[in-house]
Amino acid sequence: MGSSGASPLEVLAQEAGRDFPNLFEARKRTAAGLADRSQRLKILSHSSDVSVVLMGSWGRAEVTAGSDDDFMLLVHGVERDEVEPSVAAVGDVLDSSPGIQGIFGVPVFSDRLVHDIGLDQDDNSNLTRRMLFLLESAPVTGTSPYRAVREEVLDRYLDESVKAYRPPRFLLNDVVRYWRTICVDFAGKEHEGPKKWGLRNAKLRTSRKILFAGGLLPVLECFRFDLNEIRDYLEGQLDLVPTDRIAQCFLVHNAVEPGARTFGAYDEFIGRMNDEEFRDDLGNVVRDNCGDSTAFADIQRLGHELQGGLLALLYETRALPQVVRDYAIF
Amino acid sequence: MGELRGDWISQIGMALEVSPFAVELSALSEPELPSLDAFLGSGRSLPFRYISIHGPSKALEGDEEKLVDELIRLSRHANAVVMHPDTIKNPALFRPLGHKLLLENMDARKKTGRNRDELESMFAELPQAGFCFDVPHAWSIDPDMAVASELLDGFGSRLRHVHLSSLSEDLHHVPLTVADEGLFRPILERCLDVPWIFEAPPRGLT
Repeated sequence: MGSSGASPLEVLAQEAGRDFPNLFEARKRTAAGLADRSQRLKILSHSSDVSVVLMGSWGRAEVTAGSDDDFMLLVHGVERDEVEPSVAAVGDVLDSSPGIQGIFGVPVFSDRLVHDIGLDQDDNSNLTRRMLFLLESAPVTGTSPYRAVREEVLDRYLDESVKAYRPPRFLLNDVVRYWRTICVDFAGKEHEGPKKWGLRNAKLRTSRKILFAGGLLPVLECFRFDLNEIRDYLEGQLDLVPTDRIAQCFLVHNAVEPGARTFGAYDEFIGRMNDEEFRDDLGNVVRDNCGDSTAFADIQRLGHELQGGLLALLYETRALPQVVRDYAIF
Repeated sequence: MGELRGDWISQIGMALEVSPFAVELSALSEPELPSLDAFLGSGRSLPFRYISIHGPSKALEGDEEKLVDELIRLSRHANAVVMHPDTIKNPALFRPLGHKLLLENMDARKKTGRNRDELESMFAELPQAGFCFDVPHAWSIDPDMAVASELLDGFGSRLRHVHLSSLSEDLHHVPLTVADEGLFRPILERCLDVPWIFEAPPRGLT
């Protein structure tokens, strides 16, 4: 929030003389949905170290009519047999069962998220859980354990290797690794079959890119801070949703108009994804027929505009390009 | 660059000397369209990541339906089709071009399409159309660049790419001068996220 109480995206909209009605509506829809689910989950007994965390569009405050209740049952501590509530009980209360390759079908113990970073034990599922938890999640119950785990994950990344006025490389490398993993897995899934190719492609061009940029930009922005400021800065950023983190970066680097066009494109995407017919059209798109789909043509255009704005922020503003040059590739 | 009209290979070669990022292929007279269609439809791959086609503003044959059909066919190969608003008689015919149609602001020689008020009515007829911002055209109307700023204020949300050059005394595109580069800078800094198309060879390539 800015000093006026307005979020960075609202400030950007005001400064550009624009509106992002679909994004702001989605934020209201998300807040109402979180309050509703928090109320419903109260019937379940909770261990004091457990948090029910909603993921994906819930964590981005971009809930649309097609959003699922993808959740993580987060436990602050080491692995154990009994956890209250159970994944099944939470699934019964919420609107759908855990999705995304079943990676949230079991309780997630913070011990693995925090300590198994890198090497063989940090498999695809652990990396995905950690990054989605860090970058796009919202606690519905158990805010205290949620924040405690986030602090421990940040502590692990912000170790003795961190230097003043430089992006923390350990965290930067893991954020970049996760984005590249998403991209490689997209190709892997296509190799398994064409089902849902259009929807997955659309998300890769838009919401997945927002997820990545919402992690990458705050980490790069650490070049502006002294050693004792970096942690507070990153915690503050993670309290924001990804679109606010990105909007703030456009504001800081005086790129209001490119930022407005970036979010104009993303706003149109969110509006389209709230339309069942559009989602159905995309659902039928595969690589072989994508050239005939007007829905997919729209996604290509919007993805191009969104990426153009983000690339301008990274490569055409005054200070960031040097940081990108020094840190983003090697 | 008038000597390259209709010579698509040479236009591409010259654009590549500047950047492999974006190109605008100019079919400035309507009779050039079939050869551009044949060139782009031949199946060859182009190295650019953004391809614009400048539609005709000269030697128009008067049949707008036929012209739009040709432009729709060409648009399959491009990200954008730029048209001069003063050449469009029936805007509704151009709606099928959708988001690919870009309207360009005109220079001081033209009777319309020059400023925000004159373009507003055309965009109202073509709500999906984008904006091709010709910076020197705006300068020709107001060397203080207030018109340029108003155009961006009004149509910034539609901005898709920029035309950049200086203008000769008779308002023809010439290489961007150092003085104009400085004059245009504040305006260009508002357009960092879209392709910039040079309408005359940049200094060093002339």
